[in-house]
Amino acid sequence: MKMLKDPEHQVAGHMAKDGRLGPLVDGEGRFFKPFQSNGRGENEAKFYDSFSSNNNVPDHIRGYFPVYHGTQVVEASNGSGKLPHIVLVDVVYGYSNPSGMDVKIGSRTWYPGVSEQYFNQCLKNDRETTSVSLGFRHAGFKIFDHQESRFWIVEYKVVHGYKVDDATLVLRKFVSSNSLADSIPDCAFASEVYGGSNGILAQLLELKAWFETQTLYHFSSCSVYMFYENESILMKGGGGARAQVKLVDFTHVLDGNGVVDHNFLGGLSSFIKFIQDILES
Amino acid sequence: MHLKAPEHQVAGHIAKDGKPGPLVDDKGRFFKPLQGDSRGEIEVKFYESFSSNTEVPDHIRRYFPVYHGTQAVEGSDGAAMIVLENLLSKYSKPSVMDVKMGSRTWYPEASEEYIQKCLRKDARSTTVSSGFRISGFEVYDHKELSFWKPDRKLLNGIKVDGVRLALRKFVSSNTLSDTSSKPDSAFASSVYGGSRGVLTQLLELKTWFENQTFYHFNSCSILIIYENESIHDDGARAQVKLVDFAHVHDGNGVIDHNFLGGLCSFINFVRDILQSSDESTDN
Repeated sequence: MKMLKDPEHQVAGHMAKDGRLGPLVDGEGRFFKPFQSNGRGENEAKFYDSFSSNNNVPDHIRGYFPVYHGTQVVEASNGSGKLPHIVLVDVVYGYSNPSGMDVKIGSRTWYPGVSEQYFNQCLKNDRETTSVSLGFRHAGFKIFDHQESRFWIVEYKVVHGYKVDDATLVLRKFVSSNSLADSIPDCAFASEVYGGSNGILAQLLELKAWFETQTLYHFSSCSVYMFYENESILMKGGGGARAQVKLVDFTHVLDGNGVVDHNFLGGLSSFIKFIQDILES
Repeated sequence: MHLKAPEHQVAGHIAKDGKPGPLVDDKGRFFKPLQGDSRGEIEVKFYESFSSNTEVPDHIRRYFPVYHGTQAVEGSDGAAMIVLENLLSKYSKPSVMDVKMGSRTWYPEASEEYIQKCLRKDARSTTVSSGFRISGFEVYDHKELSFWKPDRKLLNGIKVDGVRLALRKFVSSNTLSDTSSKPDSAFASSVYGGSRGVLTQLLELKTWFENQTFYHFNSCSILIIYENESIHDDGARAQVKLVDFAHVHDGNGVIDHNFLGGLCSFINFVRDILQSSDESTDN
């Protein structure tokens, strides 16, 4: 098996840099996510097992989820020895310079049945961030600055402290061509990335329609991960932005029990409105 | 002006211990006492804002009670009351259900004490799990020729299956006080279905909620009303109304995702009952 290294374009979650425990890629299209502690890794694998064999999920929806290739025990990134990892198709494989953004969806990240300690921690996070007010919060992003020719990354602590205005601003910066240090983003790529029949908005609306009736799963603490190619975006006939939406992070997925995932759906609808507003302005 | 207590209150405050309750007159008006500690003010502020908000489309305005200002009423210690359209005045035998919408009834602007109180209530009820809870309902029994309402305590403790049962009972004609017989859902398609039924109205509201950023309807209820008198000949005349605006706040450019999520969940419950009752009548 090829040597594993840390992914270049990861925007959120635990990172393998600097000897910490984080995901790895094989450079051939596979993404290895170490099992998270306290049974979360098992939960995530269990979800992927269930989802891959669930005949009730329509194909066009399946495309919004990373393709699962089971689990594998490999050498962990922090040198702690061999650990089980979830093996997925690397969603950004084939993208040379992607801007990416991870948005945690839902006005609450806790769910019925959790421990009081976990509930209190989640509630605190939800209230301190934009989760309660907007129905979503930013978890991380990596945006290519076309003027500086390098990526703009913001420290997790800062992103976690974002308020409503910051969230709006970063969604605009995500699709801008001017310097990201400028306080007024030009949103030059808004229609190419957010708009169009295959853009982010169209994909989000397709997902939303599924969420209005699916009662299979409740996706607590899941993120929408959206990304697009910068390399071709400025070139005429260069293949366009190839913007994609993926759902990621399934450590806290529950059975739907016949009820729609109203928490995710409300947050997703709010997120959609923000994207729509940027497109229209 | 002849005022009396309304007949079909299913939820909310009633006259108790010398505190005034709502009243109705014989001209189709409903008088609601202003609730204490700023809630009354907030409700008035909402109605004032809403009635003059030209950006609310007409087809959405009809889901809200008509507002007639405030008035000091004799016999209520001169205390001001909110004057609204009496939603039941055009019904002779109405079945009514009050559904509190949203997976949380608290909101960021509330006091810490209120938030904790709401968190407890939301967790104990179906609010957290389903995005809404049934606050109360009253349904006409066509066999017993009388109204029936479930015990308030029992209703507070119901889970998801209890919600489905209540929504079926609400549109049934058979003896409801007899818990051993299954609800027949005889009126499911006339009340929930059809081009002007509850489901259609809820879907219309949903579209507005996907875009409106004027108001956040915290702790608001959807009231469902339908007519039992001559239901077989004249139809159910089902209506959906939004009520209880004591905790409404500015939307500040954000949609009311809490209400919307709950509304979508409620729509799914109603649709399921409609589909299963359609299937059983086909058999």
